[in-house]
Amino acid sequence: MKLLLTFLILPLAVAAGERFVSLKTAPAEVVLSGPRATQQFLAIATDAAGTERDVTGESQWVVSNPALASLDGARLKAAADGRLTVTAAYSGLKGQSNVRMEGTQVPRPVGFTREITAIFTKRGCNSTACHGGVKGRGGFKLSNNALYPKDDYEWIVKGGGYQVLTNEVKGERIPRIDLKHPENSLLLRKPAMQTPHGGGKRLEADSEDYRTMIEWIRAGAPYGAGQGTQPRLVNLEVYPPMAVMPDAGRRGLLVTARFSDGHTEDFTHQVLYTSNDSEVATVNADGIISARRKGETAILIRAAGHVASAGVGVIGPVIADYPAVPRANFIDGYVFAKLKKFQIVPSGLSSDSEFLRRVCLDLAGALPPPKRARQFLASKDPNKREKVVDALIASPEFVDYWTFRFADIFRVSIFSNGLSSKFSEGYWEWIRNNVETNRPYDEVARERISAEGYSPASRHFLPYNQIGPPGEVMAEEVRVFFGRRLDCAQCHNHPYENWSQDQFWGMAAFFSRLFKMGPVVFDHPTNMDLSSKDVDGKIELLHPRTKAVVKPALLDHSPLEPAPDGNPRKALAAWMTAQPYFAEAAVNRIWGLFFARGIVEPVDDFRSTNPPTHPELLAALAKDFRGHHYDLRHLMKTIVMSRTYQLSYVPNATNREDVVNYSRSLPRALDAEVLLDAVADVTGVPETFPTAVTEGSSVGQAPEGTRAVQLRDPDTFFSRFLEIYGRSNRGAIPERNGKPNLSQALHMLAGDTYAGRLGANNGRLARLLASGASDTEIVDEFYLAALSRLPAPGERNEILNILSRRGGREAGLKEFVWALLSSREFAENH
Amino acid sequence: MGPHRTSRRDFLNAGSAGFLGLTLSGYLRAAANNKVAEKAKANSVILFWLEGGPSHIDTWDPKPNSNFKPILTNVAGIRISELLPKMARRMDKFALVRSMHTRGTDHPQATHYAITGHEINPAMQFPSFGSIITKEMGPRNAVPPYVLAPKWDRSRQYEDYFRAAFLGGEYDPMCIPDPSRPGFAVTDLSLPKSVSKMAVESRSAFLNVVDKHYRALNETAEHTNMDAYSAQAWNMILTPAVRDAFDLSKESEKMKERYGKDSVGQSCLLARRLVEAGSRFVTAAGYHGNSWDTHSDNDKGHRDRLAPPLDRTLTALVEDLDERGLLDTTLVVAMGEFGRTPAINPNLGRDHWPNCWSLALAGGGIKAGQVVGSSDDHGYNVAERVVSMGDLYATVYKALGVDWTKEIMSPIGRPIKIANSLGDTTGEPVKELLA
Repeated sequence: MKLLLTFLILPLAVAAGERFVSLKTAPAEVVLSGPRATQQFLAIATDAAGTERDVTGESQWVVSNPALASLDGARLKAAADGRLTVTAAYSGLKGQSNVRMEGTQVPRPVGFTREITAIFTKRGCNSTACHGGVKGRGGFKLSNNALYPKDDYEWIVKGGGYQVLTNEVKGERIPRIDLKHPENSLLLRKPAMQTPHGGGKRLEADSEDYRTMIEWIRAGAPYGAGQGTQPRLVNLEVYPPMAVMPDAGRRGLLVTARFSDGHTEDFTHQVLYTSNDSEVATVNADGIISARRKGETAILIRAAGHVASAGVGVIGPVIADYPAVPRANFIDGYVFAKLKKFQIVPSGLSSDSEFLRRVCLDLAGALPPPKRARQFLASKDPNKREKVVDALIASPEFVDYWTFRFADIFRVSIFSNGLSSKFSEGYWEWIRNNVETNRPYDEVARERISAEGYSPASRHFLPYNQIGPPGEVMAEEVRVFFGRRLDCAQCHNHPYENWSQDQFWGMAAFFSRLFKMGPVVFDHPTNMDLSSKDVDGKIELLHPRTKAVVKPALLDHSPLEPAPDGNPRKALAAWMTAQPYFAEAAVNRIWGLFFARGIVEPVDDFRSTNPPTHPELLAALAKDFRGHHYDLRHLMKTIVMSRTYQLSYVPNATNREDVVNYSRSLPRALDAEVLLDAVADVTGVPETFPTAVTEGSSVGQAPEGTRAVQLRDPDTFFSRFLEIYGRSNRGAIPERNGKPNLSQALHMLAGDTYAGRLGANNGRLARLLASGASDTEIVDEFYLAALSRLPAPGERNEILNILSRRGGREAGLKEFVWALLSSREFAENH
Repeated sequence: MGPHRTSRRDFLNAGSAGFLGLTLSGYLRAAANNKVAEKAKANSVILFWLEGGPSHIDTWDPKPNSNFKPILTNVAGIRISELLPKMARRMDKFALVRSMHTRGTDHPQATHYAITGHEINPAMQFPSFGSIITKEMGPRNAVPPYVLAPKWDRSRQYEDYFRAAFLGGEYDPMCIPDPSRPGFAVTDLSLPKSVSKMAVESRSAFLNVVDKHYRALNETAEHTNMDAYSAQAWNMILTPAVRDAFDLSKESEKMKERYGKDSVGQSCLLARRLVEAGSRFVTAAGYHGNSWDTHSDNDKGHRDRLAPPLDRTLTALVEDLDERGLLDTTLVVAMGEFGRTPAINPNLGRDHWPNCWSLALAGGGIKAGQVVGSSDDHGYNVAERVVSMGDLYATVYKALGVDWTKEIMSPIGRPIKIANSLGDTTGEPVKELLA
């Protein structure tokens, strides 16, 4: 396979000590504060090439003053205040950390929020699969990962059962602790299996955690020592943030908790670790990662209401002569740096054919016509790629295509926009106008979120000609413009995220005054009664559990007091578009359309448990987008001019398996509309779209030559092809997956989209035959039309051979065209 | 290259016996992997879809506020409306539920609820009941496992509710045209006449050349899947039994008349043929355009237009299944998306009523000759034994041997109950209904 690059691959199992050039310990400097403080250390050896290896377990650990602290392996336990050093020695190398200890003699009783909830998280008691589930488990509810310790405390000290849809307590309130006889507390007896426990044995009666809990109950089960003054956990920091390791390697994590008073504590042994993909790497209770196979994943770290993550890259053999890869813009800097770290070599630059086809499909949703392809391929202009990009961005096809894309995301359909084609068309035209004038995206967002009156942008508030429930309306705006899915928090605190039900309803309250009178959308003033046949005048939003009136509040909990007769959504729109989330969600969504996956994937599912593959790249793209006044065309040009975008789809030995690091162009199926337009273009037979009826009973049709991407909504015009290939009805925000199905296979073999076109007497084949073109010319022309490339000489010969064996020239050529249209190379963008 | 390329070449180049053998064994494997509890009697479902919502008090739950008289049936103690005389003579084959209590006061909402068990949520699309059953049961005999006939002429919106959503395209229903129309044929199930055997072979030869280079470089799971679907498609196109299952010309004129030669009748006849051949879930949706939506002239509509075909076709379907020995294995559900208001409106019509309504079940291990639940004196509210949509689903799942307590994960990790009942609970099988 001459196309595949070969690399010199070094054996990894180097004799220990021979090649390492330095040893460092982590953390290098640390302060241990408070009684019972401990600190885990790591020893990291580095070789001449800069590759790191965790040698914590193999090192000799020594503490400079054993009177102040003791070492258990590489874990230091403070006994008295003072300073000391911790030294690791490994094969002749040494690393050293400086440690200060303070407050070791200050007594601190065990508190609920700190020690007890930490045990719940660490032991998995409050995981979503157990008591942290939406409804709890076995009648006992804990908040997932101790997000709501006050609630947890109540269920434990007062007892009773949680109910999802109401604030009422289910069953009798029997405390789960027994202050008189602490050892009889259900809270201990259950996990220790002294009383039958559905979750099995979770706690040994002689364990440290058991002792901590019983000590807490004996002390009267306090909520928290010095409540109110106690420092709050602010965040979790993970070292290393990205662990790169060879297959079968091991590497430890350090987790540091930062508190509101500035002090830090080692939480390495007090958090719950989970691997997002245990095929790639597993992690044990002490935060030691074991690599399983080449790939990438994240380790999630949970402690008391906080989630952090560490990236894990399991890399292949080290490449000795890793090539220098040219960089075209800032995107490449981030992408290629990570690839080098992961020892993945990006594919070469795409050929002109590959690039032209890809960029035409991605920017304009259409294949380049053969004439244009020939010109481009023949041109010697060194700037021809940029010129074609500029031409595409300025083309009418660009406007058609991106109007179609946003009509999908913004949900243009008769059913979603007031049950009238007048409304859906107006909304569509608003989108088209925004695309055509390249209106800054923040303006578009603000207008949509705060739309009112009879304006076209307000039509999206009218599914089935009704204003949707405030929660749903809000969740959709947040998903579209923040890339976050709050829906789960509608009925309960979000199971994985820091979104509470209160936050959900606070945000929803911005939409609670939204009403319509006839076709006019307005915000009901709170100081007037507009009750009528159409408007029920109930403008208060009640919290579904507490039944209290909910006031508008932003996600950051800051309340807003909108004017009684104003539009509260204006303030919300201004706030949302000023948040970093807004630009990040926008660039990620657009990026996803060019690379078949988002930096956060799915593109509208940002969560702390779904970390981005390239966080710095995401931030840089968002910054650039803000810096250019939310200019979508600038963003798209930046993306397509990067070398990352322009890499070939042809894999090499190092990147064949990679699907998340943009080391090559990933083939993706054309979406239904684009594929149908491509079939029409290649065959030269346009599609006709009958009006809103199934085949055979047409009452009208779209104007001749209408392209599938130009159809305004999915309900007006029927197309069997589009149905089979998964056109969205836009009843929900579309998630196109391009997955093949049986109907597609049947249609390809027997369907009229293909059979009808091949038989047409006005198509490309008929015209070429009439012009007297030779077989070679016809084959070449179709290759250019369908694949933007000429056949390789061998390919061409094989095709001509089959043709001549087949006999019946025209029939043979039709079969050839069928094959071309049925090929994966045609059906995919690559 | 990899194994799938080898099999693909075999498939495209070998004689038909070779690749048919290959795919059939695939089916057998799929069938073997599909664990259906031994106790389960039913292996397929026919949903007789009464779009628009029949008036319960004018059909299966007669009341004094109906203008139609109750009549005796062949089961002592059960009376139904005089509009359903044929059914009355066969009441021993049916079970009625008179205490359905569901959500959705307008057609789209209620239809979505009836077909998926969930209320509409713009944040996600839910898989239909039929898709879940198709996934759980697996295909039989190369016949499309999930079929809907006829598909809607005007709007695709309802059709979308019957789809598989995130479960994937392979569990979408195959939606076919009205089988009562002249020249009815299922598209894409037979090769165009212009495509000869020679053409098939030369297409394959060309495709091998065109795709060789690209596929050598890019082998993806999607390609493998598409190859599997292509093999299945060839199998269907070349297997006479599959085409036959859709071919109503194989039925006698007498049989066609027994079901009724309209859309209602012929779609049920087709459903029977498909189930006989191997389909798992067939929706017979002959009542299109919200037929049962009698906001005006309710009585006239029910008497002249709606109840007679229901009476004729439902009875014929159940009798025919029984005669063929298929009734034990085929569960028939006849229902709409809601009932109709017990009070008559100024247009002499009845409006939408999800509070309390009725449906009919037969076959598939359902204990027949009984009524479950009851409504109050005028049919406004459930008087005894509320049955939710989730309870109905759970009953059908249990009859099929499917674990009704199952939850499936949506792409964002939200667990979706397959038998979603009121107040976010899991439905319970109606034990009286299960023999």
